[in-house]
Amino acid sequence: MTDTAMAATALGKRFGRRGGWALRDCAFRLPAGRVCAVVGPNGAGKSTLLALAAGLLAPTEGGVTVLGTDPASARARVGYVAQDKPLYPQLTVAETLRVGADLNPDRWDAETAGRIVSAGELDPKKKIRSLSGGQRTRVALALALGKRPELLLLDEPMADLDPLARHELMGTLMARAAQYGTTIVMSSHVVAELEDSCDHLLLVGGGRIRLAGEIDDLLGAHARVSTAVSTTAGAAGPAPATGGAPGGPPDLAPHTVVESRVTGRQLTALVRPAGPLAEDWRASTPSLEELVLAYLRNPQAAPLTPAEPEEAAV
Amino acid sequence: MTALALSPDSPMTTGHAPGAGWLYRLHRPALYVWIGLVALLAAGLVWLWGPLTDSSAAAWREYNEFCLKRGSCHYDPDAIVRYKDVYGYTTAALTALPFVVAAWAGAALFGREWEHGTAQLAWTQSLSPVRWLAIKLIVPTALVTAGTGLLVVLHRLMWSAGDGRIDTAKSWYDSFTLHTNGPTTVAFALTGLAAGALGGVLLRRTLPTLMFALACVTVVRLLADQVMPHLWPAVTRVSGLADGYRGSGLGVDSGLVTATAAHVADPGCGPTLASPGCERVYADLDATGFYTTYHPESHYWPLQLTATALVLAVAAALAVTAFVLLRRATATTASGGAETVV
Repeated sequence: MTDTAMAATALGKRFGRRGGWALRDCAFRLPAGRVCAVVGPNGAGKSTLLALAAGLLAPTEGGVTVLGTDPASARARVGYVAQDKPLYPQLTVAETLRVGADLNPDRWDAETAGRIVSAGELDPKKKIRSLSGGQRTRVALALALGKRPELLLLDEPMADLDPLARHELMGTLMARAAQYGTTIVMSSHVVAELEDSCDHLLLVGGGRIRLAGEIDDLLGAHARVSTAVSTTAGAAGPAPATGGAPGGPPDLAPHTVVESRVTGRQLTALVRPAGPLAEDWRASTPSLEELVLAYLRNPQAAPLTPAEPEEAAV
Repeated sequence: MTALALSPDSPMTTGHAPGAGWLYRLHRPALYVWIGLVALLAAGLVWLWGPLTDSSAAAWREYNEFCLKRGSCHYDPDAIVRYKDVYGYTTAALTALPFVVAAWAGAALFGREWEHGTAQLAWTQSLSPVRWLAIKLIVPTALVTAGTGLLVVLHRLMWSAGDGRIDTAKSWYDSFTLHTNGPTTVAFALTGLAAGALGGVLLRRTLPTLMFALACVTVVRLLADQVMPHLWPAVTRVSGLADGYRGSGLGVDSGLVTATAAHVADPGCGPTLASPGCERVYADLDATGFYTTYHPESHYWPLQLTATALVLAVAAALAVTAFVLLRRATATTASGGAETVV
């Protein structure tokens, strides 16, 4: 059994008594040591999910465990960088790192934090309020990594970085994950940003988990098929039909259809095969972006979250 | 580096929980401003207490003994005016101090942290939200109590030194002096602090939190003024119609007493000794004398201490509400939150 870095059961969060649900019925399990992408459109609930895991919010229902305990007890072992990279504007970079040392008396790794900051050629005497967005990100990451987290939660970490800094910081994070086995969870609405570095995926849409699992497993569980529309079964008509519920075009049964589209006489679909595919179909493995987009375009498609948190009670 | 890392509370850092060194780093300018403000006001009060009171009292003695009785004198009117001015400034500043504390707590200590998300930053370092709030309340509470307390004591000493020696000195029940001479001022300042904490949790923005804290202190102060005279049994003194009202102090009620010992409103005619024409008015009302219900100076401490206790209770209620709301909003440990605070 692998250790669980993060697991949720029936997790839900509603803002305000009458507000809408930002997140509902979330259940997943993230094994330790993974680099996990939390992907979804803006407002899908990614930030809420990360804030719940970081103990910044109390869940309305259900629960989330991190590092085998509740988020409040795991506070010292979890690093978190919020989307807007909050920092104390009146402090200098060096003072900010000293606050990090104050706040993490037993865990602070001044060397790592200092190295991340100095790699950006940041003047330690510069005030935080005078930094650019990318420089702020760097300081925020230094604060999060300086506390030697076992789990690192990053909300849109790379949004403000230029490609060079993005590459360099991503390298730092990956080295960290490889060296210390740090679990990294990072959210983005840009799939391509995370595709190369992540091995686990949580797709959040409409406040629910749509896909959860190892990226390779998820891709392997889906197939992109295309076939000529047969005159008998093509009753859906010549108009482009998108649909995906199990009751979609009959010739795709018994496979679970995520998305299907008819263009001219050609039917292309993204399916979750329930058995061997028909021989006259051309099948290929979808890219991660295709997979994510297919699920996001079709909110009614059945979610796939195979890693149900059996051990979530740990 | 090491000199800076030497936080003032290093002994407080026990075991694994962070101490308050971070708070010092974040609010060092505010700490210096506070120390400067208290030092400045203290210096003003000491100056007033010693030299200014003496010179003003001497001027008054001179004036009363020579100017009034003999007609020829050379008293120093500047000394009298200087005492009056400095007394006015220092008392006004001490009265304003709780509002300054409230504004700072609402804006800098709490509101801004919520608005910028740096409150959450602290909680994702190894500091639980409840501990964060506790440190942010306990350390400033100690500093505000010490500073305001010192000033109140000095004000009291200064006022006592001039009492009875300076004819224009403020009475003990003057609406400003009443509070600046006693611990209610400290309680008002702590109310501002607690209101800032609650405002932050409720409103999560700088300006609204500042307004909330100021409003809380204003309302508490106005209510305290209204309620204070009723916190201790007052004294009622009856005097003849000829003499008018007798007995001065913190007034509660006054009017006419009738032959049946009933209290009726005073038509405002005045004592009959001064305006004989009023006798008819009083006869029509069946009045036999004036009554006044008031607190003599001996009631000062009972009134001050009960009012302080009441205001502190309000401050505590604000702080407890802030803790409860913060605990509800953020994740707490599964054990039900037996988080050690200090």
